[in-house]
Amino acid sequence: MKIRYNSKALMDLCLIGIGLVVIITSLKWPFKTALFPIVIGTPVFLMAIADLLLNLFGREKMVEKQAAVDFKLSEDVDQTLATHRTLLAFAWIIGFFLMILFFGFHLAVPLYVLFYLKIQGRERWRISLPLMLSAWVFFYGLFVWLLDTPFQEGWIFKGLRAIGIIG
Amino acid sequence: MINLQFQPFLYMLIGSAIGFWVGILPGIGGGTALALMMPFIYKMTPQEALPFLLGMHSVVATTGDITSVLFGIPGEPTTVATIVDGFPMSKKGEAGRALGAVLMSSLIGALFGAVFLAFSIPIVRPLVLAFGSPEMFMVIILGLTCISTLSGQGKRGLLLGMMSGGFGLICSLVGQDRQAGILRFTIGQLYLWNGLPIIPVVIGLFAIPEIIDLAVRGTAIAGDVSFGNLGKGVKEGIKDTFHHFWLTLRCSFIGSLIGIMPGLGGAVAQWVSYAHAAQSAKTMEERAGFGKGDVRGVLGPGAANNSKEGAGLIPTVAFGIPGSTGMAILMGAFFLLGLVPGPDMLTKHLTLTYSMVWTIALSNIIIVAVCLLFINHLANLTTVRGNLLIPFILMLCFIGAYTTNNHIGDLIVLLVFGGIGYLMVRFGWPRPPFILGFILGSLAETYLYTSTTRYGADWLYRPKVIILFFIIVAFVLYPFIRGKRLLREHEEPGEDQI
Repeated sequence: MKIRYNSKALMDLCLIGIGLVVIITSLKWPFKTALFPIVIGTPVFLMAIADLLLNLFGREKMVEKQAAVDFKLSEDVDQTLATHRTLLAFAWIIGFFLMILFFGFHLAVPLYVLFYLKIQGRERWRISLPLMLSAWVFFYGLFVWLLDTPFQEGWIFKGLRAIGIIG
Repeated sequence: MINLQFQPFLYMLIGSAIGFWVGILPGIGGGTALALMMPFIYKMTPQEALPFLLGMHSVVATTGDITSVLFGIPGEPTTVATIVDGFPMSKKGEAGRALGAVLMSSLIGALFGAVFLAFSIPIVRPLVLAFGSPEMFMVIILGLTCISTLSGQGKRGLLLGMMSGGFGLICSLVGQDRQAGILRFTIGQLYLWNGLPIIPVVIGLFAIPEIIDLAVRGTAIAGDVSFGNLGKGVKEGIKDTFHHFWLTLRCSFIGSLIGIMPGLGGAVAQWVSYAHAAQSAKTMEERAGFGKGDVRGVLGPGAANNSKEGAGLIPTVAFGIPGSTGMAILMGAFFLLGLVPGPDMLTKHLTLTYSMVWTIALSNIIIVAVCLLFINHLANLTTVRGNLLIPFILMLCFIGAYTTNNHIGDLIVLLVFGGIGYLMVRFGWPRPPFILGFILGSLAETYLYTSTTRYGADWLYRPKVIILFFIIVAFVLYPFIRGKRLLREHEEPGEDQI
């Protein structure tokens, strides 16, 4: 029988691993803690194995025709370009997270909006600057001033405070 | 009528205005807004405070649908199902139509819920009391099966749906176990003791893949549709609601029924109604259109997540059993105002109880009218270049996630589930069963544990449990039987089943 390796099988393998971890870990717990994890983990583990077998050995037509009633990624962009843009988009998202981590929300929000508009969007200054300002006003006005949300300070400021450079 | 007196009406308007923005902003839920507004009601009379709070709470789901449709970001956890077909409609340049449909169905749902509340208080008491923990557990499994069955296409659709739902249930295990206090899968992090927070999970799972796709396409959400044309679909959307009026009413009814059940609420109602709407497809081609921008996929959840509001008040007001977090906070407000939920609300304070019906109806009519006035401007947002929108949408996502616990862990959860959501979309795993399993996991565990400790294995033989079991089996088998029947009708052997 011909085995068809495909990326969908990786998802199944992950779920098999997760199901296995849930079952094995649950065996150490008392009955009342372990009941639900075992009741859930076992069928998930078995279903993932069944799906993996279907992926590897099932008819190609059947595997191809599976689809979710859900949002679908655009298919009208060239595959190489799509991969490049996807990685870039993930990088911008992680970049925003790192900016928040290092600078805190107060500084990260306007800086991120400005950087994204100027570097990624290649927008003009007369568009980028007002949008940056409006993002900051929205953030500060609603979440800081009105709702008094406690936003954590960035690591850089915490570090500078710790060594006494800022008060 | 209390609501048409000046002071209560004014407070209702203020509450509705706050609810309008709370609904639109991701991360600030109706429950949070109610909690934030509690200090303001100390000096109010019950006739002023209840219209204020309920006016705010009852419109949140209505406006929460707007961001779901326009940007694929759920304004509320109860408006996630609207994304599945609403956002693809926006991408096709039908944002106006989707908004018209969702707002009108929301209004009909809200009015239905209000009427349901008014007429059903004496009838539902035996129903609610007849459902013990075994039946509630089976109702949850029914909801999960229902959405798993209908969220996948092809022979393996059900399997993928069930796996996705099971993965959601597994994710709900994270945190301190309620029964014995044992920490499960917390990887040594104090942050995870309370479990994975729902808002970052929902935003990550649903918004991040859409943002990435927007960046990949490099266009506006609505593609190349010209500016100014989108609002024209609004009338069409409103017409759609009346064209599928029975579907809207049926989904409203489903929302109301689920709204009565304590603990289930809008998160379940929206998905079960979505599943029902998908089930209403008559042909395989129609069925395949769901998830790609079928207006019925917008009407169902829109109607249900509003109709459950009125129905959710029934157990709260009549029996003192809050059906959701929002209702629990609202019940706290009752006590603050010197009102005790129970028989008194149906006798001594009956006028006040009926004023709640009017509040739900009036506030929704006003908010929908306001939304329809500005709908052109809202819909045109989808024609703004993606590069201009992405930083703002991401900002809303990150702030929305962060405000859950004000902890950096919220952002990590957002990123992790953003990645998971992207992979699920890429590999054709349906996300709706995951989110339903995740939301209902802890509740299902409590019901299963209570049933097992109280009845042993005997709970499996309870008549209502057996009936629910057969309904579940019917749901599992129905698509196969229907698919075979459709194949016979079309005489197209070799085609795939629904």
